[in-house]
Amino acid sequence: MIAFGCSVSESEPYFRYAEPGIRMAAEPDSAIFSYAAVGTIGRTYNLLLDAAARHEDLEALVIVHPHTEIADPELCAKVRTALADPDIAVIGCAGASDVRTIAWWEGSVSCGAVTHRYVEHGGGELPAFSWTARRPAPAEVDTLDGFMLVLSPWAVRTVRFDEGLMLGHGFDLDYCLQVRGAGRKVVTADLCVIQHRSLKVIGDLELWAEAHVEVARKWEGRMPGLETSTIDWRQRARRAEAEREAARALAYSKRLAADARLQELERSLQQATETMSWRITTPLRRINKWRRTSSAGPRGQ
Amino acid sequence: MIAFGAAITQPEVYRSCAEVGIRLAAEPDSVVYDLPSVGSIFESYNAVLDEAAEREDLEALVLVHQDAQIVDEDFCLTVRQALSDPHVGIVGCVGAIGVRTIAWWEGSVSLASFIHRYDEHGGGDLPAFSWAWEEAPPYARTGEVDTLDGFLLVLSPWAVRNLRFDEWLGALHGYDFDFCLQVRAAGRKVMTADFRAIHSHSLQPFRDPEPWIVAHMKVAEKWDGRIPGVGWNAGSWQDRALRAASERDAARVMSYSDELELESRVRELEGILAETTESISWRITAPLRWLSRMLPSVAERTRMHPRARLLSAGPRTDRG
Repeated sequence: MIAFGCSVSESEPYFRYAEPGIRMAAEPDSAIFSYAAVGTIGRTYNLLLDAAARHEDLEALVIVHPHTEIADPELCAKVRTALADPDIAVIGCAGASDVRTIAWWEGSVSCGAVTHRYVEHGGGELPAFSWTARRPAPAEVDTLDGFMLVLSPWAVRTVRFDEGLMLGHGFDLDYCLQVRGAGRKVVTADLCVIQHRSLKVIGDLELWAEAHVEVARKWEGRMPGLETSTIDWRQRARRAEAEREAARALAYSKRLAADARLQELERSLQQATETMSWRITTPLRRINKWRRTSSAGPRGQ
Repeated sequence: MIAFGAAITQPEVYRSCAEVGIRLAAEPDSVVYDLPSVGSIFESYNAVLDEAAEREDLEALVLVHQDAQIVDEDFCLTVRQALSDPHVGIVGCVGAIGVRTIAWWEGSVSLASFIHRYDEHGGGDLPAFSWAWEEAPPYARTGEVDTLDGFLLVLSPWAVRNLRFDEWLGALHGYDFDFCLQVRAAGRKVMTADFRAIHSHSLQPFRDPEPWIVAHMKVAEKWDGRIPGVGWNAGSWQDRALRAASERDAARVMSYSDELELESRVRELEGILAETTESISWRITAPLRWLSRMLPSVAERTRMHPRARLLSAGPRTDRG
C-alpha cells in the first residue's frame, strides 16, 4: 500500500493543490494522512512516519508540501519501480549531488518534470529551478528537495526527522544525510509535479541563513562522502567571506541588469501604445473586447 | 604641475572617455602619461608613478581608468584645494568609511559623485547618490574616508614618490583599497573631494569572480592586525566561516529570486507587447505609422529649404 501524507500548515493550499494531486495519484487502498502542523516540520513529519509505520503492507510513504500538486497519474507505478532496488530509501522529484549545505541547488541538480507555477505578474509557469543547470532524473543524489519526498518502508521505520532543527529549513538535507549515513541511497525519479510557490526562492532569508548555520554545525566533519581532513577554519572563513561579497556584488549587478532590461521593454511598449494610430483605434479595440466578452458569456453559463 | 595618467588596453575606449575628460580638466602645462598597459593594472600604474615621480614641479598625479571621464572644468582647482593639507596622501570622488575588505561598497559609503554609464539593453545612466548635491542623502559629504574607488584617484607628490601599488596582489582587483591602506599606514589621509566623473562600464562587476575572490583574501591577510577593522569580523574563525557561507548562499538565493522575478515580468511585458503589435488595429494602422515616421524628415527638408539651406551652404566667416 502506498500512503500519502501532508503536514497541513495552511488549509487553503492543501485543498487547492496537495489534496487534488494526492487524489489523482492515490490508489483505492492508499491511506492518506493529513495532519495539522505542530511544532517543527520534523515533529509533524515524524507523526506521519508513525502513522504510516503502523501499516504492515506499507510499500511507500509519499510526503508532499501543501503547495505541491502531484500531476502524475503514473506516480505509484514509478515509485514501485524505483523502490524495487532495496538499497533505495528516499525518492524525490528534484535533488542534487555534490551538496555541501542546505543550499542544495548549488550542487549538481537533477530534476524530473517539475513545474513552478506562480501568481505574480499575471501568473504563469516556468520549469522548476530554471535559474540553474539541471540534468534529468533519474539520478543518485546527495539530497532531495523537501517539497516532495517518497520514503521506503525501511526509511519510514528506521530514520526520523530531526525535531531539533528548529528553523524549518534543511530538514530534507538532514534526513537524506541520515539515510546515506546508514548506507542507503537517495535518488531522483521522473515524477510530474507542480510546485505552486512565489517567485521568491526563499521567503525569509535571514531565518534561512540561520538554518544554514544550524545544519552546517550539526554535520560539520560528518557528511557522508566528504573527506574529514583537518579543517583550516581561518582559510575557510577568508574564502567564504570573499565568496559572500562576490555573490552580493553579482546579485546587485544582476538586479541592475534586470532593471535595465525591463526599462527597455517598457520603453518599447510605451512607444507602441503612445502612437497616434494606437490611440485612434482605441474604440475599435473596445468594441472587439466587448464582442469577445459577450460571445464568451453564454458559453460560460 | 598636475599630471594625468592612464593604463590603456583599449585605445578607442580611452579616446572616447578618459581623454575627453583629461582635455577638459588639464591645464596648459599638464603632462599626460597615456601609456599602453604593461601587464597588470598594478604594474601599469607603477610605471606611471615612476615617470611622474621624476617631475620636480609635480603637484598631483591623477590616475584615471580608460573608461572614466572627468566632467568638471575646475577639477584642478578642487584638486589643489584638497591637497593643500600636506597630510593628505590621496583624493577621490567616491569613498567609504568602515571598510574591511576590497568590497568597499559594503562599508558606509559617504561620497559617490559619479554616473555609471552602461551599454546593455539599449544603454543608460545610473547616477550615484551624490552626483547631484540637491538630491544627495544626509550622509553624503566630502572628507576623510577609509578608501576610495580606484577609477579616479588623485595622488599627492608624497604618495607618488613614496608608495607603490602592490603587484603581489594580482592583476586587477584590490589595488585601490590596498593603496589607501598604505597611505593610512604611513600616517597620511585618504580624502574625498567635490569633483565628478562618468564611469562607462558593463553592469557586470566581473566576468569571473575567482580573481576577485583571491584578491579579497590576499588583501585581508596582508592587512589583518595592521589597520583596525581590516579583515576582521565578529566571532571565531569557525563562526565566521559558517556565517559567511550562509550569507553567500543567501545572496545567491536572492539573485535567483530576482532572475525568476525578471523572467516572469519579461514574459508579462512581452505578452502585452505581442498582443499590441499583433492586434488588427495595430496592423491596419501600419501605413499611418510609416507616414508619421516619414513626416519629420519631410518637415526637416522643408525647414532647410530655401533659406536655411542657403545659409548652411554659404561661406563660413568668423562672424558666422
